Amino acid sequence: MRQTITTARLRLVAQIGAALVALAGCGHYRTDRSPATIQVDIETSPTSTDPRFATDAISSRINELIFDSLVKTDRNGQFVGHLAERIERPSPTRIVFHLKHGVRFSDGRELTARDVIFTYDSILAPESMSAKRAGIEELKSIDAPDSYTVVMTTALPYAPALEMATEGIVPAGTPLPAKGTAAAPIGSGPFQMVGYARDEAARLERNPYYPYPSGAPRSILFKIVPDPTVRALELAEGVCDFSGNNIEYDVLPWFAGHQFLKVSKTPGTTYKYLSFNFRDPRLRDLRVRRAIAYAIDRNTIVNTILRGAGRVASGMLSPENWAYEGNVTTYTYDPAKARQLLEEAGYTADRSGLRGLRFEYKTTPEGARLGEVFQAMLQRVGIELTLRTLDFATYYADIQAGSFDLTSLQWVGINDPNSYYMVFDSHKTPPHGENRGYYSNPAMDRLVEAGMRTVDPEARKAIYAQVQQLAAEELPYVSLWWVDNVAVMNRRLVGFDAYPNGSFRSLATVTLSPLGSEPPD
Amino acid sequence: MKNYLVRRLLALVPVALGVATLTFAIIHLVPGDPVVAMLGENAAPVDIVGMRRQLGLDRPLLEQYAAYLGGLAVGDLGESISYRKPVSRLIAERFPATIELAAAGMLVAVLLAFPLGIIAGSNPGGAGDLGAMGFAIVGISIPHIYLGPLLMILFSLDLRWLPLTGRGGLAHLVLPALTLGTALAAILARMLRQSLIRVRESDYMRTALSKGLSARSALVRHGLKNALTSVVTIIGLQMGALLSGTLITEIIFSWPGIGRLLISAIGARDYPVIEGCVLAFAITYVIVNMATDLLYAIVDPRVRIS
Amino acid sequence: MIARVRNPSLAIGVTTVVAIVVAAILGPLLFRADPLSIDLAKTLAGPSPAHPFGCDALGRDVLARVLSGARLSLSISTVVVAISLVVGSLIGGVAAMSGGRIDNLMMRGVDIILAFPGILLAIALAAILGPGLIDLVIALTAMGWTGYARIVRGEVLALRERDYVLAAESLGASRSRVLMRHLLPGVVGPLAVNATFGIGGIIGAEAALSFLGLGALPPTPSWGNMLDAGRAFLLVAPHLTTAPGLAIGLSILGFNLLGDGIAQKVGHRA
Repeated sequence: MRQTITTARLRLVAQIGAALVALAGCGHYRTDRSPATIQVDIETSPTSTDPRFATDAISSRINELIFDSLVKTDRNGQFVGHLAERIERPSPTRIVFHLKHGVRFSDGRELTARDVIFTYDSILAPESMSAKRAGIEELKSIDAPDSYTVVMTTALPYAPALEMATEGIVPAGTPLPAKGTAAAPIGSGPFQMVGYARDEAARLERNPYYPYPSGAPRSILFKIVPDPTVRALELAEGVCDFSGNNIEYDVLPWFAGHQFLKVSKTPGTTYKYLSFNFRDPRLRDLRVRRAIAYAIDRNTIVNTILRGAGRVASGMLSPENWAYEGNVTTYTYDPAKARQLLEEAGYTADRSGLRGLRFEYKTTPEGARLGEVFQAMLQRVGIELTLRTLDFATYYADIQAGSFDLTSLQWVGINDPNSYYMVFDSHKTPPHGENRGYYSNPAMDRLVEAGMRTVDPEARKAIYAQVQQLAAEELPYVSLWWVDNVAVMNRRLVGFDAYPNGSFRSLATVTLSPLGSEPPD
Repeated sequence: MKNYLVRRLLALVPVALGVATLTFAIIHLVPGDPVVAMLGENAAPVDIVGMRRQLGLDRPLLEQYAAYLGGLAVGDLGESISYRKPVSRLIAERFPATIELAAAGMLVAVLLAFPLGIIAGSNPGGAGDLGAMGFAIVGISIPHIYLGPLLMILFSLDLRWLPLTGRGGLAHLVLPALTLGTALAAILARMLRQSLIRVRESDYMRTALSKGLSARSALVRHGLKNALTSVVTIIGLQMGALLSGTLITEIIFSWPGIGRLLISAIGARDYPVIEGCVLAFAITYVIVNMATDLLYAIVDPRVRIS
Repeated sequence: MIARVRNPSLAIGVTTVVAIVVAAILGPLLFRADPLSIDLAKTLAGPSPAHPFGCDALGRDVLARVLSGARLSLSISTVVVAISLVVGSLIGGVAAMSGGRIDNLMMRGVDIILAFPGILLAIALAAILGPGLIDLVIALTAMGWTGYARIVRGEVLALRERDYVLAAESLGASRSRVLMRHLLPGVVGPLAVNATFGIGGIIGAEAALSFLGLGALPPTPSWGNMLDAGRAFLLVAPHLTTAPGLAIGLSILGFNLLGDGIAQKVGHRA
């Protein structure tokens, strides 16, 4: 009897132990993918699978793999024809695109001028309420004289006209997306979306009608993994093949211990900035904005929090941009000067050093750390920042509507300097454009509108040099830094080209070396 | 028995009503304007008016309350602002995940408690007792928000045995269930220990010994039998802690249940979803309590008569 | 050896609690690092002689923040438990004294509050009231007062029927005065036990709410929001999780043991 109890208990323990060992033994919680599939971990769900509406970075990068546009930008930011094999500019107000023949959507239909016209018309239609409309508002008309020719006409000379030609094309007749449904439109790009579960994953597979380089991935799984630690683990486990610009900088050194992972760091055009709400009279005072600019130690932040994966920025255009002007007013870290400016502006410090200036800084959970840094740095000069953390979708909606005091955000894929018009022209406030801070300066308006109308590149460059200097003087934004493009990938992805705007485009043309036989360093 | 059942069911109604009313009160009687909180102070007046109408906030409070109760009766909890889907559907989609986690937590608790309690109770004052009870008191004191990450560091990051977060196969359930069930295991273990000690010192033992049974087996057999009703009682009493623990554990492990839905709804200021999730948890708890009472009544007839 | 100490729970519990209280009060005075001052050069630094618990994601000293968090946790929990005690006792006493319908109504109210499992009510209130310390106290009190109400009500009801009370009444003494005089000894024990466990419980609840972003906001250090911040760095800086986690665990442990010890002393578990 005594034996029975002991044996029974021992057996139970042994069973539990065996179960644990079995679980451990199948520590392979990796999903079993076919070798021709790659998994890309992204941090939040794409907000839209329709290229006519998506403005955030993740949606745009995914849509770029699914939809083609008339032109694309190459790695140097120059426009090259994509759907258009030949481009003519007969006059400053007209561009003629000659389309390639034989381009097919993933359902087999050929892409013709009709689809292009339809796409642009649907964005321009008032009921679309697309944020992209502001970008192509200058289009007076878009016509198709024949099936393979598209003519864009603007009312006035429009220098950045080719930027308008970067919209992803959907088939004629594609309905506007009803909120909440996720029926993804068909595209003519290298991939098509075959499945999308919000907050889980988006699955892309090859467009059967797109020329397929041998050895390239057959399908891509975009898995939504909000937890940065899990993304790092999935890379280390070989579950995830690629992760772009969403790995914590502090974790990057950790990957050095994993031989089959590669960290790629290239200068980027992504521009991180601090935005002000000009409807607040306190922030309309230039001295306050300058004080804030002097109070932030950007150099130290780049070297410590970013671990050097960035360059302190002087303005929205990075040095790679053709219109870049580096000779502008800059603000090196100078808290004493900041305090002096605030005193001049009438905000005297009390005994604890605070000046009765309180602002609310909105952020996402991922951005909270930077927010706390700003909070501490601004407090040193007497400004109190309260942090408000919201989930990304809510946060982005608030910012787009202009509902914030201070916030920091980034512009991804800045290319043509006409972006200055979109973000600083006083008419371009929400919902008409991206001037979310309601900045209004007639001098800036004149310059950016002139820059838009001047077609001669030399004259244009001169105008934008003035714009950059004005922006540096007037501080509608405080420029923070240009973020390096940091990607961590499995070495089995061979031939990945990093684009300064973090594009995933190259995923369509990488070669996959077989799993388990990664090439030595 | 049927009388008892009917009585208990009827008693459920005022409590459910009270819970629904309190939830309504919390959400609707808050100072400040929830629509302004949602859309921001700089929102266009036409948007504010539109949203207010959409949420039914422009109607008098009593009418809102009546509509709310009416909706509840047919299972309509309104529509989520961020997902644009009916709240009831969102909750129904995530309910199984929460139940799975809660059930796994209970199972782990029982599996852990029995060996611990038996070791402790069969030799009180001994090394095993000290060890087991030390383990138990620590288990009750470690909060989920620390135990979870601790287990993650050990089993997922260092040993790489188990996945870190998310729901998937059995392997994904282990760490969350352990995190959730440890506190309950500790309480159950202590109770089992008490039960065994009591049996030791009782008449049962003497009778059993006189009958020639080994001390150990008699001890365990009777002790465990007595303990069974107490196990049910304790699980019933701890159900509240278990449910709210499930909420926290879902956040820690990114488990796609109602708890996670609630917290993200709070972040998105999605009031209909917040209301729905709070109700879902509370009503679940009320029903589980009733079920425990009924179970008790089946096991112990004395309860029915009182 | 343990068997010789009559009440080990009490001994260990008192020691732990006293240690924590002393650390909270004296710690910031003896250990001079500033919990709020950032030093980006030291982000995620591991433990070292200068920083015994290492530094967090902004280079702030973790030990200083843990000590600061101790002050926060202890003060919030004692305040919450104190208010809950007063409110709960009053409501319980009034309910028992009034009897009949009022008693019934109040106890239905208690039942409804108790129908919300665990910290759900606190989460809902904190979500609606918004983050911030005062709202945190309100939310935590709302969920905590019911236990004390039940204890006091139970005692008062029991006392009401005692012979000496009835006798005193028949002699003309006011019922309430008699009850008050005899209430205290009966109720002190269970209330003390409950309150002690209560402090431990509120420490845990406050940590949970801060962890969810519904309690103390950055940069105010709270054990809960420190644990939340540490989650992103589990891989490279686990010390960010260990320090506040152990602090919470030890505090709750201390109060649990103390409560156990007091319960043994007064002869029964609440």
